[in-house]
Amino acid sequence: MEARLEQALLLKRVVEAIKDLVQDCNFDCNDTGIALQAMDNSHVALVSMLLKAEAFSPYRCDRNIPIGINLTSLTKVLRCAQNDDILTLKAEDSPDTINLTFESSESDRLSEYDIKLMDIDQDHLGIPETEYAATITMPSAEFQRICRDLIALSESVSIEATKEGVKFSCAGDIGNGSVTLRSHTNVEKPELNVEIDLAEPVALTFSLKYLVNFCKASALSGSVKLCLSNEVPLLVEYGLSGSSWLRFYLAPKIGDEE
Amino acid sequence: MPAITMTAQKRVLGDSSSVNRNVAPSPNSVKKRKLDRVPSTAGRFQGSQGSQNGKLLSSQPKSQFEEEVLERFTQDMFGLKQRNSEKDQQWNRPSLDDFDDQGGLCFQQIETEEGHLFGGEPTIRLFGVTETGHSVLLHVTNFLHYLYVAAPVSFKNSDCEGFREYLDTLLAQQYPAVASVQMVPRENLYGFQGNQKSPYLKISVTDPKFIGRLRTAIEEGNANWKGMWQGIGTGGLLTFDNLQYVLRFMVDTKVRTSYLINMSEASKRILPSAKRNVLQMAGMSWVEVPAGKYRILLARDRQSHCQIEARVNYRDLITHPPEGEWVKMAPLRILSFDIECAGRKGIFPEAEHDPVIQIANVVTRYGEPKPFVRNVFCLDTCSSIVNTRIKEYNTEKKMLMAWRDFLEEVDPDVIIGYNIANFDFPYLLNRAEHLDLTAFPYWSRMRTTQSLAKKANISSKQMGNRDTKTTNTNGRLQLDLLQLIQKDYQLRSYTLNSVCAHFLGEQKEDVHHTMITELFNGTPESRRRLAVYCLKDAYLPQRLMDKLMCLVNYTEMARVTGVPFNYLLARGQQVKFLSQLFRKAAEQGLVIPNMKNEATDEQYEGATVIEPVRGYYDVPIVTLDFASLYPSIIQAHNLCYTTLLNQKIIERMGYKKDIHYITTPHGDRFCKANVRKGLLTTILEELLLARKKAKKELAVETDPFKKAVLNGRQLALKISANSVYGLTGATVGKLPCLEIASSTTSYGRQMIEKTKEEVEQRYRVENGYSHDAKVIYGDTDSVMVKFGPSDLAAAMKLGQDASSFVSSKFISPIKLEFEKVYFPYLLINKKRYAGLFWTGTEKYDKMDTKGIETVRRDNCQLVQHVIETVLRKILVDRDVPGAEDYVKDTISDLLQNKIDMSQLVITKALSKNDYVAKQAHVELAERMRKRDAGSAPTLGDRVAYVIVKGAGGARNYERSEDPLFVLEHNVPIDTKYYLDNQLAKPLERIFEPILGEKRAGQLLTGQHTRSITVAASSVGGLMKFTKKTQTCMGCKKPLVGKEESAGALCEDCRPRMGELYQKTLHRVSELEVRFGRLWTQCQRCQGSMHCEVICSSKDCPIFYMRMKAKKDVEDAGNELARFDHDPGIW
Repeated sequence: MEARLEQALLLKRVVEAIKDLVQDCNFDCNDTGIALQAMDNSHVALVSMLLKAEAFSPYRCDRNIPIGINLTSLTKVLRCAQNDDILTLKAEDSPDTINLTFESSESDRLSEYDIKLMDIDQDHLGIPETEYAATITMPSAEFQRICRDLIALSESVSIEATKEGVKFSCAGDIGNGSVTLRSHTNVEKPELNVEIDLAEPVALTFSLKYLVNFCKASALSGSVKLCLSNEVPLLVEYGLSGSSWLRFYLAPKIGDEE
Repeated sequence: MPAITMTAQKRVLGDSSSVNRNVAPSPNSVKKRKLDRVPSTAGRFQGSQGSQNGKLLSSQPKSQFEEEVLERFTQDMFGLKQRNSEKDQQWNRPSLDDFDDQGGLCFQQIETEEGHLFGGEPTIRLFGVTETGHSVLLHVTNFLHYLYVAAPVSFKNSDCEGFREYLDTLLAQQYPAVASVQMVPRENLYGFQGNQKSPYLKISVTDPKFIGRLRTAIEEGNANWKGMWQGIGTGGLLTFDNLQYVLRFMVDTKVRTSYLINMSEASKRILPSAKRNVLQMAGMSWVEVPAGKYRILLARDRQSHCQIEARVNYRDLITHPPEGEWVKMAPLRILSFDIECAGRKGIFPEAEHDPVIQIANVVTRYGEPKPFVRNVFCLDTCSSIVNTRIKEYNTEKKMLMAWRDFLEEVDPDVIIGYNIANFDFPYLLNRAEHLDLTAFPYWSRMRTTQSLAKKANISSKQMGNRDTKTTNTNGRLQLDLLQLIQKDYQLRSYTLNSVCAHFLGEQKEDVHHTMITELFNGTPESRRRLAVYCLKDAYLPQRLMDKLMCLVNYTEMARVTGVPFNYLLARGQQVKFLSQLFRKAAEQGLVIPNMKNEATDEQYEGATVIEPVRGYYDVPIVTLDFASLYPSIIQAHNLCYTTLLNQKIIERMGYKKDIHYITTPHGDRFCKANVRKGLLTTILEELLLARKKAKKELAVETDPFKKAVLNGRQLALKISANSVYGLTGATVGKLPCLEIASSTTSYGRQMIEKTKEEVEQRYRVENGYSHDAKVIYGDTDSVMVKFGPSDLAAAMKLGQDASSFVSSKFISPIKLEFEKVYFPYLLINKKRYAGLFWTGTEKYDKMDTKGIETVRRDNCQLVQHVIETVLRKILVDRDVPGAEDYVKDTISDLLQNKIDMSQLVITKALSKNDYVAKQAHVELAERMRKRDAGSAPTLGDRVAYVIVKGAGGARNYERSEDPLFVLEHNVPIDTKYYLDNQLAKPLERIFEPILGEKRAGQLLTGQHTRSITVAASSVGGLMKFTKKTQTCMGCKKPLVGKEESAGALCEDCRPRMGELYQKTLHRVSELEVRFGRLWTQCQRCQGSMHCEVICSSKDCPIFYMRMKAKKDVEDAGNELARFDHDPGIW
């Protein structure tokens, strides 16, 4: 397997975004790209990532290779890369190590790192694709801000999508608060659009702790897509260049469980 | 207890290999077989409904317990019958025919309490048993309680009567309360008094209940007759000799020498020569009343159920010291019982709602190996059990009353059981109250004394804080094995099951309390099953008691310290010592001040520890010990309350330092033995002498019962001698004397330092020795010396030499002993070391570890197990690489979830509710209470938990989980926690001195840590939404394609199908065999090969293994099934 990434920044940010949820995971590499699927320890959230072959130039992978990596170790190595370094991942067919090469685009600096791999025996769990009742697209910075603001008040947020708009509200010991967004189109800056696509009204409650964690991916994409249906996990999707994506699923809170 | 786990495992494999072919390995077939059996049994039920259940017995296979234990009883009983007048299963005591009320009355007294005759006359009640097995209650009359107070200077003998009258009016009773005031010469124990007695007033009262008020009145200065006591300040007046009536009686009981004909010569020697006529009664000793001196009470005057009830004047009582013939024990009747209650689902039985359904009883006579009464009182019908009487009752009331009548008839002297004090007794009482059975709670020997359960809170340094209940059974001793074991042994878990596993080496099945109701509501057969279980629970405490020799050891402790038997369990350490002190003080005319109990925070310096020179020593390390350090210091320097000097007395007497007195390193002064011999010294000398004697007798004794008694005695004597020092330092105690305590430790420190100096100075190359000796460590009473030579024999010789050399530098009886050599020796830190223990040169005795995780309870068994194996490999096999490999393998297994869950369970006692900091076990107990209030642990229980993976940043206490819950829901275990927080530190400590820091570190981070398994839990918010995508068994690629998804392999791995199928099949069959073996093991343990296993014992390692194996088999079976759908199979 060999994959060359124009900017190390992309991988850096992806790993940064998920490393608090997952410690060890398998990167499944095949001819279509690199995929990752893992659950957090408490089994409340699931991370799913797909970096399609198009995101790399070039990309070559002849057979399926699972690459088990400890994300903490990977972060350490990725710190050694400049944001706009060219990053090359190399692994053999049944690898013990993965090789990372950083080439500086300006100078002739070339750094090379090997990471020892782990053999992770893990059930492969996925969330079946479903039709969602509500799909909200909004600027990722906006979503991040809402989550950060509300966590000051409470541990959980209820997201209510109606025809009027989408309302994020929470109630805590010191008081309560809410943020309402309406559909809105900004012609000059399309990335600031808020679109609400609603089949039926939805209201669900989620843990803010996890949402704030998801928001670490905001740097990856200007906009974020939230998909909701009653009694189905929330899907938070950050689109990446070349139809790759990073998705988070979060189980809704039911009743008064902690 | 990894050792036990090991043997248990071995037994699984060993036992089952032969059975395996007969018993089908999968649980299904066992179930099937059981189902097959059901119709036939049911058919028989219908047929035999009229004729009760007699024939049913044959249809049910006998369990091992029945076959091996119960059936043997009758065979043995046959032999017993010929020797003994009592018959098997006969309840009542032997008849009084052989008792001659004109002869003497001689019995072993077991309990002593205050009482009154019907006339109101205060007495001491002595309960006991004669050698022929008759129960006795002896009322001892005319013994008056008294106290001392220092007489004022102007007080004359003629003033006594006047003072008595004055006190009498002061107490203002209808009849005379103060019997007499006498002026007697006595000496204050506390501080040296110049060897002079001064006048004291001995004030006796007619009834012991007045003594408290009299004491308060005097102490508060309200009894200052004619203002004779001058200068009573705010402190009040000091009274002397504050002890309970019963103890006072036991201390004071005197006998005339003429009755001492029976005493052996040897026993006379250890009696204080001056006062041979004063003999004091000890607990559990034999007493005798000569013919004609006692009066048998008339039937109408009797207060008790005892066969013989008599009264005697205390002057006519003879006490036999427990020597020679009198070390024997009366044939005490010991009842061991257990009750079963039918609880409701999810709730622990509550007496208000849940009936008692069975009571199993086992009665044994002391000294006989087999119980002579075995029965089960059952509610509803119950099939018969071999050799056991089943008493069936149709209502609970009838059953309870029948049991009470049984109790009265069988008249046990000792009642034992497991957790009877906190569960069985109070439950029965509450239940009877709920059912309005007013005649039920009379379990004592007194006809009119009702048994009541009282709440008590015992808190002591030794045992921590405990809520307990005490139930009075006057005249009958109680031994709750649970309390006793909790007090004397440090175990991981105190359930009957694990205690039996630890001491008797066998597991018992543990039926969950919800299961009991199910069994009870079933058929006579299922109730029989329950009855067998109940009977076993009643029989086990008896076996435990025999094994641990509790009764003998406690009896000896009572005899040595002179307190009543029941004080030993119910009271602390102090009373034992005080009783001895009072005895000795009474002999010498000393009185003991009633000191105010003032808790001070004053600390004194304790023992010293020589800074360890850490490392791994591959040469013999000699250990030199001071034998009984503190007692010998007290003796050598004559430290005592009675020899303590102050400046005033030194000046008055004109004493000179080093001629008349010494100054201890702590700066306190004590007079030398030639001025006055200390009381403590005398007590210690006697104790040590008696111990020597007991040991000597033990060596030649052949009778196993006498041997047990003697061994118990020497243990009791040792404990007593060592507790003397502790009492002087207990600031909250009755008689603290920090001068003694701190002087003792200061001498101790000095001696250790001096030993080090002497040894290092003498054994040097200059002095002709091969190496320079070095003291590498020293603690309290021992020093570890590296002499240098690598030869074991040479080191031992040097050790012998050094011990006699150093001993000669100290005052007798201080003695430095050479006892053992450690070779090799691993010194980790202060109070942490391990080594092979040698006393001879041929073979090591054992592996000795101190302060290393093998003995600590607050970590999981895995740690214990690993550390022990590692130490064994390093020290015994000298195989360091092997130890490293073992650690690596274990860590790798841990990370791949292959370690058995029972190894990871941590237990901690839930000791109080309001912890400031949140703790894992407290939080878990709280969560468990929310899930199921009944089965949740309560205060005092040990909570078992494992640490599971939690959300990022969750605290440890949030991640604790009930092991059973984890098993059921497959919650992933936080292996990282176990590695980093449990294993890492102890392993580093051991390996660092041997391998060096770098290589030791690699053990925890090397290649072997890179293979992990993450279990998929069935709890967690997202789990119900996810769909598992199968991965290829060859390369772990997710199988997503339509074709592949049901199959086992991906396109690329298809060529390997044969190999992988083989592998999976092999795995399945291996797991099936494993499960089959575990299942049969559990069947063996429950004692029947034909019933389903219902045990859910949380302490049993097999239980966790069985549950895990069951899951594994299921999972592996599913894996295998995937091959059926693989597109590549054809």
